[in-house]
Amino acid sequence: MSNSPHILVIDDEPQILRALKTILVEKDFKVTTASRGEEGLALAAATHPDLIVLDLGLPDMEGIEVCSRLREWTQTPIIILSVRDNERDKVAALDRGADDYLTKPFGIEELLARVRVALRHSTHTREDQTSLVKAGPLSIDLAWHLVTRDGEEVKLTATEFKLLAYLAANRGRVLTHQSILTHVWDPADADHTEYLRVYMRQLRKKLEADPENPKYILTEPGIGYRFIADEEE
Amino acid sequence: MRTRILSSNVLSYIYAIALIAAVLAMFLVVRDVLETSLIALLLLIPVGVAALWGLGPSITAGVCAFFGFNYFFIRPYYTLAVHRSEDLVILLVFLVVAVVISQLVGQAQAGLAAATAREREATLLYELTTVLADLHDDQSIAKTLTEQVQALFMGEYVELNVTGAQTYHFHLPEHATAPSRPPELTLPIQAVRGVLGKIQLWRTEPAISSSEKRLLQTFASQGALSIERTLLAQSESRAKVLEESDRLKSALLSSVSHELRTPLATIKAAASSLRSNEVGWDSSARVELVAAIDDEADHLNMLVGNLLDMSRLESGALKPQRQWNILSEIVGGVLKRMHRVTETHQLEIDIPEDLPLIPVDFVQIEQVFSNLISNSAKYAPAQTKIRIHAKEKENQVFVQVSNQGPTVPAEHLERIFDKFYRVTDADRVTGTGLGLSICKGIIEAHDGRIWAENLSNGFAFNFTLPLTWNGAPPRRLPTESEA
Repeated sequence: MSNSPHILVIDDEPQILRALKTILVEKDFKVTTASRGEEGLALAAATHPDLIVLDLGLPDMEGIEVCSRLREWTQTPIIILSVRDNERDKVAALDRGADDYLTKPFGIEELLARVRVALRHSTHTREDQTSLVKAGPLSIDLAWHLVTRDGEEVKLTATEFKLLAYLAANRGRVLTHQSILTHVWDPADADHTEYLRVYMRQLRKKLEADPENPKYILTEPGIGYRFIADEEE
Repeated sequence: MRTRILSSNVLSYIYAIALIAAVLAMFLVVRDVLETSLIALLLLIPVGVAALWGLGPSITAGVCAFFGFNYFFIRPYYTLAVHRSEDLVILLVFLVVAVVISQLVGQAQAGLAAATAREREATLLYELTTVLADLHDDQSIAKTLTEQVQALFMGEYVELNVTGAQTYHFHLPEHATAPSRPPELTLPIQAVRGVLGKIQLWRTEPAISSSEKRLLQTFASQGALSIERTLLAQSESRAKVLEESDRLKSALLSSVSHELRTPLATIKAAASSLRSNEVGWDSSARVELVAAIDDEADHLNMLVGNLLDMSRLESGALKPQRQWNILSEIVGGVLKRMHRVTETHQLEIDIPEDLPLIPVDFVQIEQVFSNLISNSAKYAPAQTKIRIHAKEKENQVFVQVSNQGPTVPAEHLERIFDKFYRVTDADRVTGTGLGLSICKGIIEAHDGRIWAENLSNGFAFNFTLPLTWNGAPPRRLPTESEA
């Protein structure tokens, strides 16, 4: 039991805390809860959790602020919870170091999937991260710059590959428009979402069986994109 | 000014004397033919005429006429000796005629001047009233009043202050500052409900006369009336808006509480029966109940989402976060989320590959599609076709969401985008009655247009969205070879 991951949940709704605690404990996680931002920051410093679930709407301070303060000293993955139509706050939190987000109300499978992805990214150091990413018929070799679909090589332009490689290296995680544009293009291009739209369409045409109904390169409305790969381990 | 008045006075004296002299000279020629008494009588005429120039010239004329008459026409000629008492009577008659006629003329002139002044005041007031009647906000009334006062009184400086719920002031000339001395005239703008403000006029030259003061007073009252009229109209329309929004709110509350209770009832029933242990762990009933809870929770979430959108729309907070987007990507996302509709209806997507990027808020336009599709699915029979078609048209994208459902009577076509508007009985179809009005709000916030239309074999929602953004031309997608 001692090596079961420790999750800190910061949310001011007692009902949500109760439900999340019940479910996560059932799934063999160790759970600590806090209902205020200051309390959450103190508990994070004292208990060093493996993952933090943070609600953006806290009574005493902005969730984004909590996120920034955590990122000053720890790289512990943070999953933020927020209500619908608050894309701007979600993007702000993600751009300030949060790893992923969930929109309330969410299904528990979604939460568990996000938790798994976030924990995997934090436990694997850069070196032992696999250079081969598989997603259904797709296979992406990050080291050899080789992409195959059903075993056949897919020709990608340099930018297309750079984009796909960034998505694949962060598989399962949401990537904001700004973060993709900054990494794949240039920080100066952070506002040019139209580049992204165009290149994503090209990638989907080359990789997805049905580009209009993608299975691997998913759009996160108002936020960014997420690459879905096969489950590892 | 003053010297001119003086010189015109002197002139009228000179005219009076000259007139008498001329008449005397004329009579001198016929002195021997006419009788002395007739000449005396005829001399009354120029004396009377001189009265037109005023009392002074008229008396001067009378005195001159008397002495001239005495000197030239009474024997012995060329002396001023008065021998007979009749001559004194003649002098007296001349003077009386001069005074009486000049008084009469003076009164007539004064009466005429007063009438002219009154007519001018009435005209000015009429003009002011006409101008003010056309204005419907208190600020422009105050501004116009200031302008009119300045145009009329030509003061050094005019200032108008309005105090109350809204405080503002106007002054003229525009770029001048008020003189440091107190104003020569301060008048309250007095309305029925109290003092609304004041007009201040600085003018030393010429001094403000009492008739001007009276006129300004009338102006102030007229302005007060107009300002009060607009204030009353404003508060009346505010009251109407409040009443309307109150009415909408109660309609919303009744619609919403009913709508929210339906999924809640299902959830409560399913959850409590699961809790009672009366449903076996492996029974298919259990699976059904759990699915019902999950579905109804989603439904509840959608209802709450609509309510939030509506309140944002009402408060003007639904400002689109525009970015360049690909329409088919938005539609693809919607279909993924609406898998339940895609199970009951056939969806057909027809969006051209080369449609330019559209500058819209991704999430909001997604919401529009999701509301239009779920509305179509609600009314169109199961297994019929729902088609989403888009095309470029003169710097706009035209989108049509059509279904094979029943047509809508023409008189309802406009109104289906109104809040809580239903074509059919509320019992038959569920929903908050907000979905379409949210679509309308979002499309209009994007400078687009939305309307409904009956087709030969069904019904369609149409909308247009601009392909230009901040003056930028439509952005085409690069062709295969360029990318």
